Amino acid sequence: MKRKAFLIDTTLCTACRSCQVACKQWNKLDAEASVNSGSYENPPDLTPQLYNKIHFIEQQEEGEDLRWLFINRRCMHCADAGCVKVCPSAGALYHTKEGLVAYNQEKCIECHYCVNGCPFDVPRYDEKKKVTKCHACSDRIQNGLLPACVKACPTQTLKFGDRDELIAAARGAGKKLYGEQDLGGLGVLYVLDDQPGTYQLPKNPAIPASIFFWKDVVKPLGILGFWGAIGVAALHYVTVGPKQVEDSDDLENKGGE
Amino acid sequence: MSRYIDRFNATDRIVHWVVAISFFLLLLSGLGLFAHTFFGYFTLFGSPQQGILVHKWAGPVFFFASLLLFLRHAGDTIHFDADDRRWIAKFGGYLSRQRQEIPQDKFNAGQKLFGIFAIIAALVMGATGLIIWDPTAYGRGLTQFALMLHGLFFTLFMVGMVVHVYLATIGNPGTLEGMLWGRVTKGWAKKHASKWYQKIVKG
Ligand code: SF4
Ligand code: SF4
Ligand code: SF4
Repeated sequence: MKRKAFLIDTTLCTACRSCQVACKQWNKLDAEASVNSGSYENPPDLTPQLYNKIHFIEQQEEGEDLRWLFINRRCMHCADAGCVKVCPSAGALYHTKEGLVAYNQEKCIECHYCVNGCPFDVPRYDEKKKVTKCHACSDRIQNGLLPACVKACPTQTLKFGDRDELIAAARGAGKKLYGEQDLGGLGVLYVLDDQPGTYQLPKNPAIPASIFFWKDVVKPLGILGFWGAIGVAALHYVTVGPKQVEDSDDLENKGGE
Repeated sequence: MSRYIDRFNATDRIVHWVVAISFFLLLLSGLGLFAHTFFGYFTLFGSPQQGILVHKWAGPVFFFASLLLFLRHAGDTIHFDADDRRWIAKFGGYLSRQRQEIPQDKFNAGQKLFGIFAIIAALVMGATGLIIWDPTAYGRGLTQFALMLHGLFFTLFMVGMVVHVYLATIGNPGTLEGMLWGRVTKGWAKKHASKWYQKIVKG
C-alpha cells in the first residue's frame, strides 16, 4: 500500500474551522467550555476532545496592516514516530498500512510516555487516561472515504492522498514543503508562508535526544549488560573459581583461640 | 567454642531482604515499561495497570529501605584506607586462583563501592521516579531526561546486581549465610574480613 499523507497549504486557509468542527462531529467529540483570550483562536490548545485546531498567528508591524497566518495543527503522522518508539505496549500506537499513526485505546496502558516521545507535543489523554489524537480517520480511509477534516475543507487547504503524488504536485506548483524528510518524512506536509518558527513548528523536528538515548543506546546496552554480566560471572566461576574457605583458615583459628 | 561469629543482626537482615524483595518487584514490574521486548512481564501482575501500581508501591519501599540500609552501614562503608586501595588495584584477587592477603574490614572495598553505588542509584531512581510518576505533570524536557536517567541507572543497577548476587552466593561460599542467619564461620571471617575478625575476637 502506498504511503498516504495530508498536504496542508496554509496559504489557502481562511480559518473557517470547518475541519475543526468536522473532526469533532465524525469522532463524536464533546464541545468544551473555553474562555476568550483576546484572539479569534479557540480553544487555545489541542485537548482530548480536539484532535485538530486552527492556530491563529497575528502579526502587526508599525504602520502596516494586520497579517494573519493560519495553520491546522494535529498529529503529524511521522514515519519515525517518537510516540510509537516510547510506547511500551505494542499495538497501542501503531502505523497503519497507509503509513499513518493510529491507536487502540484498549491496548493503551495509561503510562503517558507518548507525550514525551512526540516532538510536536500532540498526544492528549481522555478522562480514562487513555491516549487520544488525530488518527487520520483510519476508519474512514479503510472504507475509501476522505478524512472528515479534508472532506469538510472548502478551500482545498487540506488535501489527502498518495504522499508521492501530493509532493510531486506541490513541487510542480513551485511550493516548498515542510516535513518532507524530517523523521523519516512526516505524514502531514505543510506549505508555509513564513519560517516554521512563526508557526511554532520546530525547524528541524527530531525525536528528543534523551528519548533517543534511552531507546537506542541504554536499552540495547541494558540487555547486553545483563547477559554480559551473567556471562562474565559464569566464566569466572569455571576459570578462576569461587573463593572457597580452606581448611587452613579454620585450623589457624583454632590455633589462635 | 562455636565455629561461628555474628555478622549481621536481625534488623540488618530484615532491612536487607526488604531492599532485595522490593528490588525484584521493581525489576519485574518495570521491565514492561522499559521496553516493548519485555511487555510480557506484566502478565505476572495480572494486567499492565496493576504492574504499574506495584511499581509505584514498591518504589518508595525500596527507596526508604535502601536509605535505611545505607545509613545502618555507612560507618563501615564510606571510609577507604590503603588496604582498600590495594584491594581495588588487585580487583580483590578475583582475577587469579592464587591466594592474596589483603586485610579487609567488615566490608571489603568492593562491597563498600557497591554500597555507595547502590545508595546513589536509589537516590537517582527515586528522584527520577517521582518525576515519571505522572509524565505530564512536569516540563517535557525534565520528564524526558528523567526517563533516560531512570533507564540508565536501571541498566547499571542490573549489572551491579548480577555481580553482587554472584559474589555473595556461589562466588564466595559462606557469604550468604551471614545475610540469611546472621553468622559466618570464623574461617570465612579470617579469609574475607581479617581486620574485622581481629577486632571482634579482641572484643
Ligand atoms: S499512554 Fe498509552 S499510547 Fe501512550 S505510550 Fe503509554 S501505553 Fe502507549
Ligand atoms: S506527531 Fe507526535 S503523536 Fe503524531 S506520529 Fe509524530 S510523534 Fe506520534
Ligand atoms: S483526519 Fe480525522 S481524526 Fe484527524 S483531524 Fe482530520 S477529522 Fe480529525
